[in-house]
Amino acid sequence: MSSHSASATIDHHHDPSTSTGIPNKKLLMWTFLASDCMFFAALISTHLSYRLHPPAGGLDPKVVFSPELTSFSTFILLMSSLMMALAVTAIQKGNVKSCRWSLLTTIFFGMIFLGCQVYEFEHFVHEKKMLINNSMLGTTFYTLTGTHGTHVAIGVLWLTLMYVRSFKPAAGSTQRTWFSHQLLHVAAIAIALLLSLKIVLGLVHSLQVEPSYGAAVGAFFSHQFLSIAGALIAYGACFWFARPRGPVDFNEAHAIDVESMGLYWHFVDIVWIVIFTAVYLLEYL
Amino acid sequence: MSASSPAASSSHHHDDDSHNVSKFQIYVQIALLLAVITGIEIVAVYLPFAKWIVVTTLVVLSTVKFMFVIFYFMHLRWDKPFCTILFFIGLVLASGTMWGLLALFGAEASRPLPV
Repeated sequence: MSSHSASATIDHHHDPSTSTGIPNKKLLMWTFLASDCMFFAALISTHLSYRLHPPAGGLDPKVVFSPELTSFSTFILLMSSLMMALAVTAIQKGNVKSCRWSLLTTIFFGMIFLGCQVYEFEHFVHEKKMLINNSMLGTTFYTLTGTHGTHVAIGVLWLTLMYVRSFKPAAGSTQRTWFSHQLLHVAAIAIALLLSLKIVLGLVHSLQVEPSYGAAVGAFFSHQFLSIAGALIAYGACFWFARPRGPVDFNEAHAIDVESMGLYWHFVDIVWIVIFTAVYLLEYL
Repeated sequence: MSASSPAASSSHHHDDDSHNVSKFQIYVQIALLLAVITGIEIVAVYLPFAKWIVVTTLVVLSTVKFMFVIFYFMHLRWDKPFCTILFFIGLVLASGTMWGLLALFGAEASRPLPV
């Protein structure tokens, strides 16, 4: 597929070079997702099986869970799916700039989801005293949602690599240091995202712990000053690495790569649709 | 929603700008619909209806969300039917696993013995 010319009309739903008419990368991804369905079904049914007969004196999920936070992260993940779909549409039209912005927004939403999950886990462990080894609810819950969170984290990494890959200079370009530049680009994005996550979680923690808003803001800046400075530098580096530097080797012919990644990201979303209902909402009946 | 539908037969014209614009509109409308359905799900669990009605409603709404994502966002609607078949093989096996385990552990005989 990738050998097609960018200027030629590409049928993104049919590849005449394969016996199935389906691009091999897409077929591989659908096969993987079908197997991943079974993996998550095993985890979800294990959780539900133990919830059918909860042990006496165990933790009450209605007391532990926070429906507001989970609803918010569900909404965020749905919106990330929209942005992912728009990224695929953009690159299928050869609109690299729009594709990059959609990828960045998807990464941003993915990080918000992960931030919510980190906050949720931290809250459950320290406030609700639900550990992975002190209750069956904790064991099955952390295993299931942690596995899903790992899938999201892998998706964010993949999105980041795809975004950076979109800057690869076209053949014949004189940018020989592209690889080392883009390694630094990935590092800058990773540092910016992780520090942003730390800063937001630090702000939430300060607002919860301190008695007033003034004290919370003071405590936040005193604790997070270095993180804020580091994040600003990392964001500056991201902008610098992303500056226009001539034609790039990323166009309509690479749509299958973005689409395959999109399939993975949407799968993470549909798994969460099931988890949200089966693990969270059913507990409130 | 299968790829053999009349809408799917027009997939070869996807390069047309108007088709891409309509795809953008479809995606945005579906995203809004998914958000609304999620809101309905959250409200539904607090409604004073019989438990089986609420559970059925939640399962149906989740299935609708699931189908919209796989057929539109994941392009199954426009792709070859083999992709749908391949994914549904995994999905049917996964659903069967869930049904089997829940039926097995939901039985009264599976209730843990008191310690």
